Amino acid sequence: MEFIQKKTADNAAEHFLPKAADRGTKLAWDRFEGQLPECGFCESGLSCRDCLQGPCISNPFRDANKLGVCGKDKDILAVQSLLRLVLKGTMATLDQVDDFVEGVVAKKAKPRDKTAAARIIAEIEALQKSGAASAKKSFPKALLAAWEEAGVVPQGVARDLFKASQKTEGGVAGVEETLLWAFKAALLGAFARKLQGSLKKAVFGAAPAEIELDMGVLKKKSATILLYGRFSPILKTKIAEAAAKKKVAVMGVCTDPLLWPHVFAPVTSYGSQELPLMTGAVDLIVVGDQFVNPSLAAIAAEYSVAVVQTETLKEQNPDAFAKAIVERAINAYGFRRSIVRDIPDARTTALMGLSAGDLNMKKIAAALAAGRLKGVAILAGTNNVKFTQDLPFVTLAQEFLKNGIMCLSEGDASVSLAKYGFLDPKQREKHCGRVVAELLGAAGKNLPAVIDLGLAENGGVIEFLLALAAASGKSLKELPVLACFAEANRSAEAGEALSLVAMGVSTYFWPCLPVTGSPKTMEALSKLCNSIFGAKLIVHTDKKMEPLAKAGMILKVFNRVADPAAGDHPWTDWKK
Amino acid sequence: MVDKEKCTGCHQCELWCGTEIASISKELSQAINETPQPVPRVYVEGKPFALQCRHCEEAPCLDACPNGTMRRDPETGLIYVNEPTCIACWMCVMVCPFGIISPSSSLKVAIKCDRCRNMGYPICAEVCPTGALSLAERKDYRKKKF
Repeated sequence: MEFIQKKTADNAAEHFLPKAADRGTKLAWDRFEGQLPECGFCESGLSCRDCLQGPCISNPFRDANKLGVCGKDKDILAVQSLLRLVLKGTMATLDQVDDFVEGVVAKKAKPRDKTAAARIIAEIEALQKSGAASAKKSFPKALLAAWEEAGVVPQGVARDLFKASQKTEGGVAGVEETLLWAFKAALLGAFARKLQGSLKKAVFGAAPAEIELDMGVLKKKSATILLYGRFSPILKTKIAEAAAKKKVAVMGVCTDPLLWPHVFAPVTSYGSQELPLMTGAVDLIVVGDQFVNPSLAAIAAEYSVAVVQTETLKEQNPDAFAKAIVERAINAYGFRRSIVRDIPDARTTALMGLSAGDLNMKKIAAALAAGRLKGVAILAGTNNVKFTQDLPFVTLAQEFLKNGIMCLSEGDASVSLAKYGFLDPKQREKHCGRVVAELLGAAGKNLPAVIDLGLAENGGVIEFLLALAAASGKSLKELPVLACFAEANRSAEAGEALSLVAMGVSTYFWPCLPVTGSPKTMEALSKLCNSIFGAKLIVHTDKKMEPLAKAGMILKVFNRVADPAAGDHPWTDWKK
Repeated sequence: MVDKEKCTGCHQCELWCGTEIASISKELSQAINETPQPVPRVYVEGKPFALQCRHCEEAPCLDACPNGTMRRDPETGLIYVNEPTCIACWMCVMVCPFGIISPSSSLKVAIKCDRCRNMGYPICAEVCPTGALSLAERKDYRKKKF
């Protein structure tokens, strides 16, 4: 039961907190405090609602209800809680891929590279049906052999998702087998993300772009559309095209900021997604499902903001839909003229959408091999109301960069970091220590302190990891690479964390995944994963750990120093 | 006090009592693995109704205890077990009309709710999501309209 001490590190967001309190507008932080204490059984993964004989719990302090009605014990309940998350996460990725493929197949977009697009679409379809032999080829042979041995190579939606989901229905599969099913589903998601990234490149092209972001980019004297969450990139481009004709501004929150040639400036990150509406400078919002808080509807009504849903039962023609959205935004702008536009003066530049191709991987690999660069950290995740917004990301990045660790980020973590200038090439020297600054100077043109690899769903991180492994001639488990989900909240992130572990990248995950109720599952995430993939998923149970202490702990891991707080070391060869 | 209309039988009071009061670590994730298993002082069994010590005015456990281990705090009137002197005879367990005293065979002491007398506010009432458990004077509670 931890009440929030400080809600956000973002000054622009903080500007609106007193305003919300005055008006009685309830924000995510207020709702979180209302929920405390959160259900301890669900938090530890000791509850189940899979059948109608329940709901059941495994009570850690009573013998009478240690087992569910069907006999699931605490270990099975916990590992199935993780499996459920991963399944949902993989489906979230597949949903996005499907939207994209559907748009391209229906010829709603003109791919820049038609043959590549057609080939990748065929691969995605094959992946969904049978697991795509061709997608496997881009992974190292040793890794594939380990996956084959464990039986976790994706075999298509039917086997990886349908079959895996039935583990929660019944059967006598133990912790280890259930966990491997979760890995199988997670890898299907990873394959889909990688293919979606290639498809995006083939359809829209790819190049990094300098983007102005944060709430200061909202406009005082222009109709403004805000795109929330993930929905079809085809529809997004259509909206951007229609809006450009009518001089309507289009920006985004938790949405892909780069669809060449269109740029959707991120206005804020997930945790403060309700606040842009409070500026009064948003006339219409277009919302998908993923990443979108249902609370937006009420706050939009309070500030007379029009809401358009994209994920409706009846599909719409994207051209006509986009035009209608822009018309509605112009109308909304007309009748909203009396509303004061309170736009905070917060605006930074960020270089976003880099990829392994923009970096000199050989130089990075050489710096790692020489020991100059202590390691590479992948910062991933999305704000979680359990932590001071952005503080974990910022603290980890600050400490890592100063101490010779290269930082990569993706998706919403990038937006969080960008707000503090970590993605601004001009501020590189300010944030980096000597080692990282030198390396970034040599490894690419005009690189910022933290390298953004695009949305998680575009597989930029996977591509980078494979390129790094190839450049250094080692497998990923032998390289000092760690992933840190400093603030995570979505099921897709749990799935992504598992897929990174499967690739040989040990991963720190905050907050606790719902597995802490089962010592066996916790042990499997460490020992079993290490024996199969050479990496561990580290779930820390200390809820009171400050971001600085987390950074210190992970730095010790990079520096191969023993630390009682870290417990189990993620690398078996760390004493060398 | 327990409002039986509001109790949903969610066991949160048991869980957090077991963690905050009965465990050594005071952290749920670690308390789960403690041996001996922490014993919560509040129960939800069978029906959605949290049961804990009523701190009876005429308390049979006080009378039954052969060596003065079961005591009443003169200031608050709360009944508690002075654990170092408990001889594990389980007389209190037998006479409690509500069945809320647990015999701990591993610790060899009788375990019962002392309404968190050293904490200011009982943890079960603090964590109860529906407000079924609350701390109120008996005479005020009787007047309360639900």
